[in-house]
Amino acid sequence: MQWWVWLVVALVVIAMLVVAVLAVQARRRRGGVLVDRSRRANRPTGGSA
Amino acid sequence: MRLMRASEIIKRPVVTMRGDDIAQVKDIVYAAHGGAVGGFTLAGRGMFAGPMKLGLSWHAVVALGADAVMISDESALEATSVVFDAAVTGRGGGDVIGSQVLTDSGVDLGLVIDVIIAASETVGGQCDVVGYEIEASEALGTKGTKLLIPLPDTIAASAEHLMVPASARDFVSHDLAGFGAAVTAFRAQLDGAV
Repeated sequence: MQWWVWLVVALVVIAMLVVAVLAVQARRRRGGVLVDRSRRANRPTGGSA
Repeated sequence: MRLMRASEIIKRPVVTMRGDDIAQVKDIVYAAHGGAVGGFTLAGRGMFAGPMKLGLSWHAVVALGADAVMISDESALEATSVVFDAAVTGRGGGDVIGSQVLTDSGVDLGLVIDVIIAASETVGGQCDVVGYEIEASEALGTKGTKLLIPLPDTIAASAEHLMVPASARDFVSHDLAGFGAAVTAFRAQLDGAV
């Protein structure tokens, strides 16, 4: 194969790796709202809004 | 009390009183019984920083501002495993986003797309989960629309199903502006019914 074909393949592989790393990182940093089952209410009674 | 969506707090920077930007909010953790926000798990700042092993208890928060969560200094952070239940921090589940909301009569109201939090504007005040923003199901007659549904003082929550009294359907709101009044009216109605 000609040299530029190898170049294109290498660039595609690098691009795929970068996208994969960014996707994994975005998943690691994604936030949420978690329920803590061990924690009890710390106010006596009554509304709060 | 100031109402805000959980999605507005997530990724908000955590800043010390000296001005150091030391982390950002990753998860909001609240009590399954009562809805009191216990605190936050944190992620590092910067694109390649991952989750931190330190968490932030609500009682260590000096101010929950529009643009930053203020703390006194870095010593306010504690080991996440100390602050929260290991089952929560272990990411074995527990995220209520995407959970199904069911009434106590067994009607599916929709899926949670955000959580509404009421935070005291005074230092040391309360911070509670007071409602869910849901993508309405057919049962509410407006399938696919975003609605705010109030919660009682005593929440029953798991990762799979979030239970609300059937009467919550009568107090849904379309925006945050009138939602505080809806929560108050809903809880007053529940108190009257007891």
